[in-house]
Amino acid sequence: MPRETFDRELQRLQDEMLVLASMVESVITDSVEVLKQRDMEGSRRLIAHDRVINKKRYQLEADCLVAIATQQPMASDLRILAAILNITSELERIGDYAKGIARINLMIGEGPLLKPLIDVPLMAEKARDMLHQALDAFVQRDVELARRIPNQDDEVDRLYDQVYRELIDYIIADQSNTEQANYLLWVAHNLERAADRVTNICERVIFTVTGQIVELDVDNSGLISLS
Amino acid sequence: MSKIRVEHLNFYYDDKQALSDVSIVIRERQITALIGPSGCGKSTFLRCLDRMNDTIPGTRIEGRVLLDGQDIYAPDTDVIDLRRRVGMVFQRPNPFPQSIFNNVAFGPRMLGMHRNASLDDIVEQSLRGAALWDEVKDDLNQDALSLSLGQQQRLCIARTIAVKPEVILMDEPCSALDPIATLEIEELMRTLKEDYSIVIVTHNMQQAARVSDWTGFFWLGELVEFGPTQQIFTSPSKKLTNDYITGRAG
Repeated sequence: MPRETFDRELQRLQDEMLVLASMVESVITDSVEVLKQRDMEGSRRLIAHDRVINKKRYQLEADCLVAIATQQPMASDLRILAAILNITSELERIGDYAKGIARINLMIGEGPLLKPLIDVPLMAEKARDMLHQALDAFVQRDVELARRIPNQDDEVDRLYDQVYRELIDYIIADQSNTEQANYLLWVAHNLERAADRVTNICERVIFTVTGQIVELDVDNSGLISLS
Repeated sequence: MSKIRVEHLNFYYDDKQALSDVSIVIRERQITALIGPSGCGKSTFLRCLDRMNDTIPGTRIEGRVLLDGQDIYAPDTDVIDLRRRVGMVFQRPNPFPQSIFNNVAFGPRMLGMHRNASLDDIVEQSLRGAALWDEVKDDLNQDALSLSLGQQQRLCIARTIAVKPEVILMDEPCSALDPIATLEIEELMRTLKEDYSIVIVTHNMQQAARVSDWTGFFWLGELVEFGPTQQIFTSPSKKLTNDYITGRAG
C-alpha cells in the first residue's frame, strides 16, 4: 500500500477520537450521578477531569492539522480529518456541559435537593446513548443511523419540558425554591444542549460518507453540497 | 460554453488500444486538468486535440474531436492552422537556441509577419502575457538558453501565445521546474484563462486541485470521471477516483 504510514495515522486519529468520545460519554452520566448523590468531591474530580478532555481535544486538533499540512489528504481522507476536527470540538463542548453540571452541584451545596431526580438522570442516559450511537454510526459509516439518531432528541426535549414544568410548580408552591429550581433547570438545559450537539455529530457522519453537509434539524431542506 | 467536444474517441497504437470511448467537453476560458497514473492515456489524449499523434506511424483514431463544432479530423482540416489555434507547451522547456526575441517572433514570422513595429508589439504583448516581459525587456537579444528553467518555460508560453491560439495544451508543464517557478506558471495559467481555454496534463494532483476548474481522471485508457475540480477532490463519485487521489490506487 503506497500510503501505509498515513493510513495508520488516519486510523490512530479516529481511534483517539473514539477514546475522547468515551470519556465524554462517561462524564455526562457521572455529572448527574454526583449531583444526585450530593457528592461534592466527585464534582471537583469531574471539573478537574474536564481539563484532560480539553487537552485531548487540542492534541487531536493539532495532530489533524499536521496530517493536513504534511500529507495533503484529499477526498474521503480529507473529509475524515475535517469530520474529526468538527466532532472533537462538539465532544469538548458536551464535556463542558457536564462540567457545568458538576459546578452547579457545588453551587447548590451539600443540602438536600428539593425533589428526587428522576427525569434528569433519564435525560443524561438518553444523551449518552445518543452520543454512543452517533459514534457507532461514524465507525460503521452508517448514514441511515446518523439520520435517525436526531429523532431521539424529541424524547430529551419532552423530558426537559417535564422537568421545566415540575420546577416551575416548585417555585410557585414556595418562592424559596427559586434558586435551586433555577440551578436544576440549568442542569436540564445542559443535558438538552448536549443532545443537540449529538445531532451536529450525526451531520458530520453524513458528511464523512457523502461529502454533503446536511442540517438534520431542519428537515433536510438545508442540504449543502461541497461540489 | 464548450470549446472542444470529444465524442467517443478511441485511439490505437497499432493493435494496442490506448484510449477507449472517451467523451469530454473542454469549456471555453476554463482550465481543464487531466490526471491519472503513467500510461493511462492522458498525454495521448492531449495530443489527439491538436493531431500531434498524426506523426506517429501505426496510430489510428475513431470518434470525433470538434473544435468550435468543426471536426479536426475531417479530411479538409488544415493541420498547420489547427496547430496555430491549438498551441502546445511541453514537459521540458524547449526554446530555440536563439535570442528571446527570435523565439517569440518565430511563429508570427512563419505566418508571414516580418520585423516591423507590429512584430515588436506582438513580442512585447506575448512576453507580457507570459509574465516574462519585466524580467527580459532590457535585453531581448539575450540567448534564450541563458534564462532559468522557469523563465524558459514562460518563454515557451510566450512563443505559444504569439500566434494567438484559442486553446493551450500543457503536458506536465512544471515537472522540470522548482516550486517557486511552478507557482509562477500556475499563477500565469490563471491569468491566461481569461483569454484562452487551457488543458493541462499533470501528475501533480495538488497542482490540478489548485489551478483547474474541471478535472478528468483517466485509468487504463478510459475517462473514469470528469467533473468540477472542487467535487473531484472532495467528493468524487467513483471509488476508483477516490482511491487514486487518496494515493491508494495507481
